[in-house]
Amino acid sequence: MGIIIAVISGKGGVGKTTTTANIGLGIALNGKKCVVVDFDIGQRNLDMILGLENRVVYDMVQVMDGEVKLKQALIKSKMSDNLQFLAASQTKDKSVLDSQKILNLVTELSKEFDFVILDAPAGIETGYEHTIEFADRAIIVVNPEVSSIRDADRAIGILDSKSQKVKDGGEVMKYLIINRIDAKMVQSGEMLASEDILAILSIPLIGKIPEDKGIIDASNQGKPIILDNSSLAGKAYSRISARLCGQEVPLENVEVLKSGLMSKIKGIFK
Amino acid sequence: MFSFFNKKSSAKTAKDRLTIAIMSDRQNANSFPNMDAMKAEIIEVVKKYMGVKAIDIKREVNGDMEALSIDVQLDNK
Ligand SMILES: Nc1ncnc2c1ncn2[C@@H]1O[C@H](COP(=O)(O)OP(=O)(O)OP(=O)(O)O)[C@@H](O)[C@H]1O
Ligand SMILES: [Mg+2]
Repeated sequence: MGIIIAVISGKGGVGKTTTTANIGLGIALNGKKCVVVDFDIGQRNLDMILGLENRVVYDMVQVMDGEVKLKQALIKSKMSDNLQFLAASQTKDKSVLDSQKILNLVTELSKEFDFVILDAPAGIETGYEHTIEFADRAIIVVNPEVSSIRDADRAIGILDSKSQKVKDGGEVMKYLIINRIDAKMVQSGEMLASEDILAILSIPLIGKIPEDKGIIDASNQGKPIILDNSSLAGKAYSRISARLCGQEVPLENVEVLKSGLMSKIKGIFK
Repeated sequence: MFSFFNKKSSAKTAKDRLTIAIMSDRQNANSFPNMDAMKAEIIEVVKKYMGVKAIDIKREVNGDMEALSIDVQLDNK
């Protein structure tokens, strides 16, 4: 059985879809079979970020309702044979999701894939609750900014009370990604440092992603930034993907500016 | 001058404000809609029979079990 991971944030627009696309591809490039599922019903986006928008014929709601077979709806990525994608439905009616149908879908997916990654919608309403319901693990994406961190804490609270794992007496493993870090601002004390965020949220860190203009270009082209291994964000996503696949990769400190004595000194202690 | 100082230390300000906001959010997470109304009604009922000093209502989730725990502190006088 594969591992089901929900990518969540509470606040919208902090980088869930970007993260889902990049770690999905990153895991696939590590040789594991991976499927990414867009759970943002009514606001399909992951297809664009993966460059697959022209290939979508059927969506996950049609699969859940038994209108089409899973195989018909899964779309193979051009970037890795190990990566497949299942599109969100564009219906405005969010009540289409139902627990039993979701369980059936993710169970079927976890038989075929090593990793099943679910891209949650913004907010902490029913769409969010459905995304976390059957998750084994959760990746919480935050920006170093007060409202994102506060909303993430509320999303974690719901995860810890409403997921099936917790109801069964277990625990959903949680990983934190701090996205859009501006090293200069952290250094000058204008942006929350990762230690502060970790102290507040008290969940383990799996990676830090710097603010990177290349991400816009990547989405323009439908080619996740992880494919650009000269970019800082791409490298950060590669390291996170490797960690998810069980490799020990040391944490790179993207909060210090490259070059300069300070970064070297701090590097020794990381 | 002042704005310059503020800018420099604003990450620290953010941390302090967040710590407090999240602490209070976590406390409220155990509440539910109309909790205050229910509290008031329960106080009224108990008051008919004995003195009430304070009441504390919590919704607790434990595995599959969900429970409402009501603590009524009596007024001994
Ligand atoms: N590290 C980064 N550097 C620069 N821009 C970024 C970074 N991460 C995300 N962005 C940009 O932020 C915007 C929001 O990202 P994304 O769509 O991934 O967020 P989301 O959490 O999925 O949003 P929603 O809640 O609406 O689904 C996008 O325009 C994306 O390009
Ligand atoms: Mg999104």
